[in-house]
Amino acid sequence: MAVITKQDRKNIKDAMLDSNPVTLQVLGICSALAVTVQLKTALVMCLALTAVLALSNVVISIIRNHIPDSIRVIVQLSVIATLVILADQLLKAYMFDVSKQLSVFVGLIITNCIVMGRAEAFAMANGPLPSFWDGLGNGLGYSAVLILIAVPRELFGSGTLLGYKIIPQAFYDMGYVDCGMMVLAPSALFLIGGIIWVQRFFSGYTEEA
Amino acid sequence: MDKNAAKYIFGFALIVCLICSFILTFVSQSLKTKQQLNVALDKKKNILKVVSLREPLGDGATIDDILNTYDEKIEEIILNTDGQVLEGKTVEDIEEGDGSLPLYVYKENSGAVAYAFPVVGQGLWSTMYGYFSIEPDAMTVRGITFYEHGETPGLGAEIEKDWFQENFVGKKIWDLKKNELRPVSVVKGFVDNVVANEGDKQYYVDGISGATITSKGVTEMLVDELDKYEPYFSKIRQK
Repeated sequence: MAVITKQDRKNIKDAMLDSNPVTLQVLGICSALAVTVQLKTALVMCLALTAVLALSNVVISIIRNHIPDSIRVIVQLSVIATLVILADQLLKAYMFDVSKQLSVFVGLIITNCIVMGRAEAFAMANGPLPSFWDGLGNGLGYSAVLILIAVPRELFGSGTLLGYKIIPQAFYDMGYVDCGMMVLAPSALFLIGGIIWVQRFFSGYTEEA
Repeated sequence: MDKNAAKYIFGFALIVCLICSFILTFVSQSLKTKQQLNVALDKKKNILKVVSLREPLGDGATIDDILNTYDEKIEEIILNTDGQVLEGKTVEDIEEGDGSLPLYVYKENSGAVAYAFPVVGQGLWSTMYGYFSIEPDAMTVRGITFYEHGETPGLGAEIEKDWFQENFVGKKIWDLKKNELRPVSVVKGFVDNVVANEGDKQYYVDGISGATITSKGVTEMLVDELDKYEPYFSKIRQK
């Protein structure tokens, strides 16, 4: 059996583009607004979410045939919550500064609809390996959108990327001013809206009436 | 076995709970010391920042540099509400609501160079936590810093920016004419436009436009906190 089958590859590609959890299914928007002021926090958030998503999918897929139907959602939640707390504890121990900035949003991965959604829709019906790739793909799809939002927000909001000054001092001397709105949450909403619009323009996707 | 039998469901739930709680307990216990070290280090960094050392630690300062400098230069003392030093007590002994106050004294060879203490106040959305430090004359502000708050980015969150904090340096908290406490306060707009009397300007700092309530919160925070430490500082002034 191949480690990654053709179908898995297609699933990953779909999760990143045609059924992207953020832009197509419009899930996980809350954290996408909150942690994208700086690229660094966005990257750590992507890493945490992707890890939790992939691992929770694997664990749930392994025990899927033993989970009683009547308590299946709460069992999924227990697995997810355990993994999220693990991620939070690790960040607090090894990346203290970033974890301070992310504050409650790591904990809120538990309520991120993407994680629950993939557990219920995919891991409950597929084997561990495809589930892992599905989790990874969806995590990467989420990450791609977050990075697309975080880069312009940090660049135009603070003139930096990953904390390094990008916009030269000469611009500021000539009267250039950082765009204050970029550091506020609404700008992320506008950017997501823009990304969704561009993507749907090319894919031709429309909401069914 | 019947997957939908009550026995099976309870048994399954129990096992899941046990495994999850075991993993979490194990991880939280094994990472505890490391996490506490991080919190303590963060606090020490903030205190060193607010007392603005004569030889500041650069960006490349290692953890050991910070800890050594802290141990060497900063003395922690505990005060009661009457401004008396409680001998033999440490910061760890302070319990919520017992009225004792931590004070961090920055010492060079010649004696005390600055006094720093934690400040806590209400902003617009959140509780703001920071440190405030004054010169050995107990009248002049040496620095202020905020390490945790949830104010609006770009507006209230400007309290963590250098431009706002630098405004405090050199300002006064003591009214020499009336001989009473007069904590520096944040005005709405610019001090130069708002305060007419030249001599009064040293009691005010520029406000943050669009963040009136946060600015007010900072002012009120300083009134409250300086009041608590006044019994001790008044003794220093008399010396």
